[in-house]
Amino acid sequence: MTFAERMLHIDRRIIFLVIGVCTLLPLLYPVGLAIKVSPEVRGVHDYIESLPEGSVFLLSMDFDPASKPELQPQAVALLRHAFKKNLRVIGMTLWVTGTGLADLVVSQAAQEMGKVNGKDYVFLGWSPGVGSLIITMGQDLYKAFPSDYNNQPTRELAVLKGIQTLRDVNYVVSLAAGTAGIESWYVYGKDKYKFELGGGCTGVIAPGLYPLLRSGQINGLIGGLRGAAEYETLIGQKGRAVAGMDAQSATHVAIIMLVILCNVFYLLIRTSRGQSGQPRG
Amino acid sequence: MIFLRRQLPLLITFVAGVVFAAQYYVPHPTSELMLTEVTKWLQIISGFALVLGVTSLFQIHAVKIRRKEPGWAYSLILYSGILGTIAAGFSYSFTAGQWVNGKETINGIVTAFGWIYSDMMVPLQGTMFAILAFFIASAAYRSFRARSREAALLLIAAIIVMMGRVPLGEMLLPVSGDVTQWILNVLNAAVRRAILIGISLGAVALSLKIIFGMERAYLGGGKD
Repeated sequence: MTFAERMLHIDRRIIFLVIGVCTLLPLLYPVGLAIKVSPEVRGVHDYIESLPEGSVFLLSMDFDPASKPELQPQAVALLRHAFKKNLRVIGMTLWVTGTGLADLVVSQAAQEMGKVNGKDYVFLGWSPGVGSLIITMGQDLYKAFPSDYNNQPTRELAVLKGIQTLRDVNYVVSLAAGTAGIESWYVYGKDKYKFELGGGCTGVIAPGLYPLLRSGQINGLIGGLRGAAEYETLIGQKGRAVAGMDAQSATHVAIIMLVILCNVFYLLIRTSRGQSGQPRG
Repeated sequence: MIFLRRQLPLLITFVAGVVFAAQYYVPHPTSELMLTEVTKWLQIISGFALVLGVTSLFQIHAVKIRRKEPGWAYSLILYSGILGTIAAGFSYSFTAGQWVNGKETINGIVTAFGWIYSDMMVPLQGTMFAILAFFIASAAYRSFRARSREAALLLIAAIIVMMGRVPLGEMLLPVSGDVTQWILNVLNAAVRRAILIGISLGAVALSLKIIFGMERAYLGGGKD
């Protein structure tokens, strides 16, 4: 076996070790590389920035613990921004497995910014039926959620005063890890009830949402940990996303180097087989 | 019997499909009220579907345990996990002084249900997805080869996008950020839009077939 062939069949634990080191070292010894903000993320930020005090902002945290590393920093950054702007925040989720996580995120962000439950924000929790839930919220919010996650009747909450349906919400942002998510909010929500919609998502599904972004169906898209880091940079409060970018940078470059090496060895094998008259694999 | 199994469901599907397709274009208050009522029913049915799903899961794994099929121990673990979580959700919290009722915290006090969620489910799900990063790197090393011109083009685009999406990549190759933006906003958006339109047209065609009774797979098996 030639050196190139041995390298192509290298034990994958060595690759795991390389990735592990590339993830761990930057977390222990951060570098703090500059983060350039993209127009997609700026779209969400600028819209929230333009909302007057007292506007209604609905944040739908449509993810479960598996997507927590990418989407929780987005949620935290958005909530910090919304609370700083004194918006009325409505939190909820379309994913039953994400309910506890979403409640924790909203409560912690509110506590940090000195906001009061029922007066400045409310967490509605989860209710079954994705499309039917959104439509019910669009028809009558109180029928969809007669009580909030803490069993307080929603009609009596000061934060929901004057809000009857989704038409009364100024801005909805869905942080989605898949289906149900941004597309559900557009198809069943924005198309009929005409509120402004923004999105946040995992890096994997972000490319699939660009048609919605380009056509104006969503006014901004926060994609993955990079998007969360950009948002943290915009609001001037660096958190876990910015801290994670160094590790992500190192890992990306490591994978690129591995792919380039793999192709170099592959080309070497092809060339040597071509020269010796063997079939190229 | 055939009427109840075939004709009646087809009739309900047809009437509901036509009525609610038309409802979208009728802004009259009666139409909106009908939509509100029916979507509330749909939510209730979705809740029952959860119960159905869990019952089905119980049945499948009960058979595995009873017959001691290969992997039946995992079915037992699944059973104990489900039953333990349900019990924790319906239990009484002596610390909080009230029934848990599926809440993770009561007045800031973490319940047993909340402990299962935050100290078992969250780390386990996170671990499952964190492991993926290592396997992706290994798979990329073994299979991401420029075997043809198209594969080489894909490889170059992937490398540019990977560089452009991280600060280190933009620092090493400054143009990668702008090229990545162009790839995502122009090439990617165009192709995804085409795929979305195709899928949507297919969904419209399938929906029409279901409404008009030409597609009957949802009725299940059995004789006509």
